[in-house]
Amino acid sequence: MTFGVHAPILAIAVPLLGAFALPVFTKLHRSLRDIWAAAVGAFTCAMVITVAVQVFTSGVQVYTLGAASPTASVVQGGFPIRIVLAVDGMSAFMGLISALVGLASLVYSFGFLKEEQGKTLAMTLFFLLWAGMLGMEYTGDMFNFFVFLEVTSIAACSLVGYRTWESAPVEAAFKTMAMYTVGGLLVLLSIGILYGEYGALNIAYLSSKVVGSQLDKIALGLLLGGLLMKAGAVPAHMWAPDAYGEAPAQAAIVLVANTQASLYGLWRVLFTLFVGVLSAPAVGWLVASLGALTILVAVLAAVTQRDLGRLIAYGAVSQIGYMLLGVGVGLAALSSRQDWGLVAMKGGIFHMLNDAATVGLLMLAAGVVRRATGTKDLASLGGLGHDLKWTSGFFLLGVLALAGIPPLNGFASKFLIYESSFRLSPILAAIAVLGSILLLAVFARAFQGAFLGPRLREARPASPAMLAAMGILAAVILAMGLAPGFFVEHLVGPAAEALWRGRDLYLAAVLGG
Amino acid sequence: MRLFTGEGHWSPLVWLALAAGVGFFAWLLWRWGRRTYKAGTEQDMPFLSGERAPEGAHVGAPHLYWGFLQGLRPVLEGLRAFHSGFVGDYVTWMVVLLAVALLVVVLT
Amino acid sequence: MIGNLPFVVCMILVGLGLWTLLSRRNLIKLAIGITLIESGVNLFLVALGYVERGVAPIYTYAPPRAKMVLPTPQALTLTSIVIGLATTALMLAFAVVIYRHRGTLDARKIRELRG
Repeated sequence: MTFGVHAPILAIAVPLLGAFALPVFTKLHRSLRDIWAAAVGAFTCAMVITVAVQVFTSGVQVYTLGAASPTASVVQGGFPIRIVLAVDGMSAFMGLISALVGLASLVYSFGFLKEEQGKTLAMTLFFLLWAGMLGMEYTGDMFNFFVFLEVTSIAACSLVGYRTWESAPVEAAFKTMAMYTVGGLLVLLSIGILYGEYGALNIAYLSSKVVGSQLDKIALGLLLGGLLMKAGAVPAHMWAPDAYGEAPAQAAIVLVANTQASLYGLWRVLFTLFVGVLSAPAVGWLVASLGALTILVAVLAAVTQRDLGRLIAYGAVSQIGYMLLGVGVGLAALSSRQDWGLVAMKGGIFHMLNDAATVGLLMLAAGVVRRATGTKDLASLGGLGHDLKWTSGFFLLGVLALAGIPPLNGFASKFLIYESSFRLSPILAAIAVLGSILLLAVFARAFQGAFLGPRLREARPASPAMLAAMGILAAVILAMGLAPGFFVEHLVGPAAEALWRGRDLYLAAVLGG
Repeated sequence: MRLFTGEGHWSPLVWLALAAGVGFFAWLLWRWGRRTYKAGTEQDMPFLSGERAPEGAHVGAPHLYWGFLQGLRPVLEGLRAFHSGFVGDYVTWMVVLLAVALLVVVLT
Repeated sequence: MIGNLPFVVCMILVGLGLWTLLSRRNLIKLAIGITLIESGVNLFLVALGYVERGVAPIYTYAPPRAKMVLPTPQALTLTSIVIGLATTALMLAFAVVIYRHRGTLDARKIRELRG
């Protein structure tokens, strides 16, 4: 248990060290680099799981950096002066999502990336991005959150655009970077406002002091704008299809997980920092309507896509809409404490895990297609199912799960969202159902176009590492589909409860009573 | 295994049992079919309105849902124009989102 | 009112940066616009930490009973400047690569990804 206390910081620090040591190991020998990457990946996953087990068994974990004892988060007078990591149920849940996606991405990149096309560089950036995501999810300090947000921004944009021998990825990277930087500066501006008002950066302390002045409201609005942009909500979603579509497959799935880390930041701001002073129904309606708009716009845009990567990218954006819808409905019902609000939040939060697994699976399969044929244009693809049997099976599984076909996991979470959003407004539920149907149509078309039909060309089969990575995600999808009750009760439930009524526990854990 | 929503519940096992029943029925139908079918003969050829299909005929993905897409064309064209690819427009829409968020938060 | 002047200047800088982003087409100028917003925000953070007649918080050198400046805003600003350096460098690097591929820096012509 003494070692377990340090697990939150190790989960952030080890991938950081791993990132910067990776090029050194490459200079020595490539196999050393692979061993190092595998070791760092395994250790990080172990730490994340340790944190999750501790949080789910014994409550909020607090780790104070630079203090004599990791639990001494406040100095005399009850003022938290040091940077604090605070991990509650929601943070631990997000850490598990990041660990799952990171593991799949790492395994996949062993077989997918080519040495002469910057394998070391891509793996270094991946570890940086991973560390940044875990940092965003575990930190209990607003400015620290901003720093990790920017770490993920820089690493993500580099991952999108490091293939400088093609022009489209760099274009996507520039656009994404412009959006990320402006969004990040909005977040920093609002952190500055909060610091100017209360003289502190600790989320729990700010939450206990915040009074709801006009300045607070402006700060909340700036945070909402910046984080919704980074999450890819319509109408500020346009960087997302560009970046997801052009990033190499192993990076694209981490970008999706990074998007969800930004969503987590939004939940933390809404449910912990400002919950006492914001007008929950209005903001809840805003988030839920943006979610419905995101579903509708992204799915309709996906219908017209002819590029497989871009089509999946729009699918990924539409899934963000379901999360916004679920948690937005929960927020709208927060002040009246309706039971269906909690159900909606469980649906939205469960959908984050589902989305990471299913969209990840689809993107990895699209990466196999790209590698096998050299193209992602649906007009020239076809008949790949003859050669890529496992990949087409995985793709079909991902399509069915994403569209919410029972008994797979996408259905379980969307079922929770449909029933509860109907209680808030039937129109929202109708849009969610319509989006799901259109999504099935879109992805059925992608599957038919790429994998069915007569064999058009010889395809290069996927390497074992790539199949293993897809196998991990497929196994998670099947497990969540066949035992949704287990996952909702033991993982999603505590995470939703941590947002729903866990604020006082969070504050007590950080500020000490 | 069951998932409760407050309104109802969902169990994948019941669904799997139903699926097994439907699968059994489909298998019965299949058993009922022609026994003279042989793979690798003319019976394999795709049937397109009585015409013999050309070799390697493949209906690519862009041809699917043609009528549906044609009907929705004004909406879809609008959406394509909405995503213009110009980075200034991206930032403009982000500012719009920011303005909406600020308005909702400050006015309520 | 005069005490609020630094904050007004910061907001003007942020507004100018946003206006640059919305109205200019050259990728380098877009990067300049983002840097302007960044400077505005950094200035805002520094202005927050200003204490009239404050001294550096080094106990051994400070005169007795002097007002001290909390070093946190300066630390925040330094961090933010370093981050800004990284993002600006990355954006300019992307702009260079885009120019090599397309032969133009006009953002209205760099629209391969749309729809």
